[in-house]
Amino acid sequence: MAEVVFIGLSLASVLLLVALGLAITYGAMGVINMAHGEMVMLGAYTTVLTRIYLHLDILAAIPLAFIATALIGYAIERVVVRRLYGRLLDTLLATWGVAILIQQAVRLELGASFFGLHIAGLGPGLQNVAVPPELTGALTLGSVQVNAFRAFIIGVTLLLTLVTWLLMYRTSIGIQVRAIMRNPRMAAACGIDVDRVNALTFAYGSGLAGVAGVMVSGFKTVFPDMGTPMVVDAFLVVVVGGVGSLLGSVFSAGLLGQLNGVTAFLANDIIARAVVFAFVIAVIMTRPRGLFSQKAR
Amino acid sequence: MPGKRTLDYAAYAVFIALILCAPLVLEEFWLNRIAKFLVYGLLGVAIALSWGYAGILNLGQGLFFGLGAYMMAMSLKLASPTSLQQGSATPVPDFMLWNAEPGAKTDLCCINHGSFLWTPFQNPWFGIGMAVLAPVLVATVIGWVMFRKRISGVFVSIIMLALVLLVRLVVIDAQPLTNGFNGLTDLGNLTVLGVELDPYEVVTYYVVAGTLALALIATRLLVETRAGLILQAIRDDQNRVRYLGFDVPLYQVFFFAVSAGIAGVAGLLYVVVAQFASPTFMDLSFSITMVVWAAVGGRASLLGACIGAIGINIIEAGASETQALVQAWRAVIGLIFVLVVLYLPRGVAGFASDAADAVLSRFGRKRPPAARPASERVAS
Repeated sequence: MAEVVFIGLSLASVLLLVALGLAITYGAMGVINMAHGEMVMLGAYTTVLTRIYLHLDILAAIPLAFIATALIGYAIERVVVRRLYGRLLDTLLATWGVAILIQQAVRLELGASFFGLHIAGLGPGLQNVAVPPELTGALTLGSVQVNAFRAFIIGVTLLLTLVTWLLMYRTSIGIQVRAIMRNPRMAAACGIDVDRVNALTFAYGSGLAGVAGVMVSGFKTVFPDMGTPMVVDAFLVVVVGGVGSLLGSVFSAGLLGQLNGVTAFLANDIIARAVVFAFVIAVIMTRPRGLFSQKAR
Repeated sequence: MPGKRTLDYAAYAVFIALILCAPLVLEEFWLNRIAKFLVYGLLGVAIALSWGYAGILNLGQGLFFGLGAYMMAMSLKLASPTSLQQGSATPVPDFMLWNAEPGAKTDLCCINHGSFLWTPFQNPWFGIGMAVLAPVLVATVIGWVMFRKRISGVFVSIIMLALVLLVRLVVIDAQPLTNGFNGLTDLGNLTVLGVELDPYEVVTYYVVAGTLALALIATRLLVETRAGLILQAIRDDQNRVRYLGFDVPLYQVFFFAVSAGIAGVAGLLYVVVAQFASPTFMDLSFSITMVVWAAVGGRASLLGACIGAIGINIIEAGASETQALVQAWRAVIGLIFVLVVLYLPRGVAGFASDAADAVLSRFGRKRPPAARPASERVAS
């Protein structure tokens, strides 16, 4: 049974890792960023490219992926999202377009494939990432054998959640973000540079997705379409947890991860995902604002 | 000088005349393709009805399309030659034989658990009826629960999104009943009233085009009825309509179900034309793609959304002649979509309508300044 719980925990940590960035962009900024999954995908590709061109392993890819995706996220906010604040469903549609563009950019190797050129590591094919030897194998925790890389992911997730929490609740920029979350106009009236803070928040959320991508690349095949199912799952985590509540996202990721793990153990993976969806629908039907929602103003 | 509404009706008339005359110039291969695109146009109408007129962005319209498709495909599977040769008095789908319970009799009643559900589909009319009824029923139940609880906006979108993915997984998991990932293939032709609808015959095209024309006219008349006007009022300000004493959920459920029914008919026709049904109909990307078509064509216009769907697909078919262009075209679609949301929120139809306004006012007729189109507020 402990193994099932660990599998659930490991599923939950990946969910949370991807959802963390979304919790910030959706929760704090009211933007449904469908391109979030593509940020995860780009993070995973950063790992691939780091290995090919810099001969560095997955650990070195973490900061690189964060920087790369944060920059791209910043650009997306400046060019597209900035014009759509307050139009929630339109942000969903526009970022879906952005997501397609990013996918195609990877698939077409940034346009190089038109000229018959090939960039190693990009393109429509599948890529694999090797996990460094110190992270392979199993750890023994008490009586349970635990996959070392899965444990590493759980550790990274905990660390990033802690960092994000500190940023949001213990720094001045966090206070500004939370002020904008509550009431953007009032925040602006109090002298907060809403434009700048929004752009930085979006960049940070995208950066988190990039790190998630590095982690995911360690146990999943990397390909251009990999982000879409992840963004859906992560989005459901945020909605179930309650928009704007970091704690809610942590809790709901744990809940959905365990639900998925236990059902997969009892039935099969397909049914497990179906049960998760059913659970999400039931939660939204009964508590549309999520399990841990703040009072809206 | 004709008024705006006359122009609008004229656009419908021209479009319907165009699709009905297409067989005069097109050969059979293209006719089959265009028929498929007209089915997508029908989906565009369904989206515009629920999104543009009811303000409900349904990110799970593929559920209704898929339901309609599967219901029809079950009948056509039983009519297929591949189902008739399994050594049984009644047809049995070939994949059921591969998934049979050990020692079970080769018959729909009991070849595996649940296969009896297929029995009534031996009558094609049952398949046709269910293709419309099943989506309408599902939409009514879901809509009833959602709209009674005053769930609205993005939460409806999320519920429908989760629901379509849920049903997709259930269909995939029920391998012995639905052939899982592979879907229902090798279908027979639909034969109704003694006419066999071969997908490459002109008659099939006319069935599709006729249905689309009817759907366009019917929905257009429907939104101009009193109920349609109340629906649009609900879209613009739900609470105000509620305080005026109208039963808001009733109208929402009704139009949600109509939209689902149209999507179901689209699924039915798609199966007749394309001869397969697959769980990919219930992929998230397909449901969002439909919304893209409608948004580009004009979310607030039935005809616009319909033309958007057909137009994008015709261009896509043209681009798919070369492999490199297919991928590039997808990128272009992504770009177009971003640009439309940013700069043309009412789509091509909104642009055309503004142009018509400009032309009309130029010819001296004093018109009151157009009210801010509600569609721009719908999405927020």
